[in-house]
Amino acid sequence: MAPAAKPAAPINCKLLLIGNSSVGKSSLLLRFSDEQWLPEDESSATIGVDFRVHKMDVKGKKVKLSIWDTAGQERFRTITSSYYRGAQGIILVYDVSNRESFDALPRWYSELETYVSDKVVKILVGNKVDKEFSRQVPTAEAEAFATRMNSLFVEASAKTAVGVKEAFTDVVERIMDIPELWDSAAPGVGAGTKSTTTMPGGGNVNLAEEDEQSGGGCSC
Amino acid sequence: MASDLPYAADAEVSLSYDELQVLRIQYQKELAQGYVTVQSKFNYAWGLVKAPIREHQVEGVRLLQELYRAEPTRRRECLYYLALGHFKMGNFEEAKRFNALLMEKEPTNMQAHSLAQLIDKGVAREGYIGMALVGGAAAIGTLLVASLIRRATRK
Repeated sequence: MAPAAKPAAPINCKLLLIGNSSVGKSSLLLRFSDEQWLPEDESSATIGVDFRVHKMDVKGKKVKLSIWDTAGQERFRTITSSYYRGAQGIILVYDVSNRESFDALPRWYSELETYVSDKVVKILVGNKVDKEFSRQVPTAEAEAFATRMNSLFVEASAKTAVGVKEAFTDVVERIMDIPELWDSAAPGVGAGTKSTTTMPGGGNVNLAEEDEQSGGGCSC
Repeated sequence: MASDLPYAADAEVSLSYDELQVLRIQYQKELAQGYVTVQSKFNYAWGLVKAPIREHQVEGVRLLQELYRAEPTRRRECLYYLALGHFKMGNFEEAKRFNALLMEKEPTNMQAHSLAQLIDKGVAREGYIGMALVGGAAAIGTLLVASLIRRATRK
């Protein structure tokens, strides 16, 4: 169904995984891209940022996804913010069995406000639903929060693969619905324009503040 | 669906001038005040190692080495970026050594595995270039000899 006029080159799409440490960002990525899962004792915390390329067909178009997996640890907070540049989709992850990871979401959203255009597609992913017995975040509550934050929502498990594919395809499909995010010919390219302009000014202050905070915490 | 191997993103992507400048100013401010926090030093070193300029990479590696010695809690990150820095400078032996230390501690660390692959590729490429140089020299030598012989036989 691809129109004859369309060039064969795939559409590039940049996604970013963010959220507290140990919520399973890397595990979701590993499940999605390699259909694998590593038990907790074998997986290691992401250092800075990791990156994967994945090709898929969405709505009859070839899409080349580059998925950036960021470290959730506080110590990487300042440096991972530089990866927001040019992202079209953000996957915010929390752990349904860890209330703290859900309560931290407003902070992640405020970071998004600073670094990306509000046109960027966001999805909230509640990971680890395989741990239903120790659930601390009700589905309805998270769903309501996602709606309020103008985000898509899905619950998933990287361990059992439930909801993982949906999470990624939902974001990409929504991005495809907004041509100004991916079509360079469309007016007012949303991707990256805001982040690049805020980085020197707004980002400046932000980085400095965070430096002092985290520095004070770690150096004692 | 096809998926490429994990990839050491920090090997290719560098910061903009302004972004690096933010980290540099913070580091230098603290340096001037006489007390540099681990976080500021690490951030600046990270920015330097990612940079495309060799002097920056060298300085980044130097700072990381200091951090590695002084901060046991930051060792895994330092090892990774030390390996990355040396890889970018073309010091594949050192890169391998630091990365191997990280893999020893975390055998399933996929970032370290992917960096190991990049290093191996770098070594192989260097090998090809070496062979090409040797081969090229041999070819030129052959041509020279051939032309000498021709010149000698023409007389």
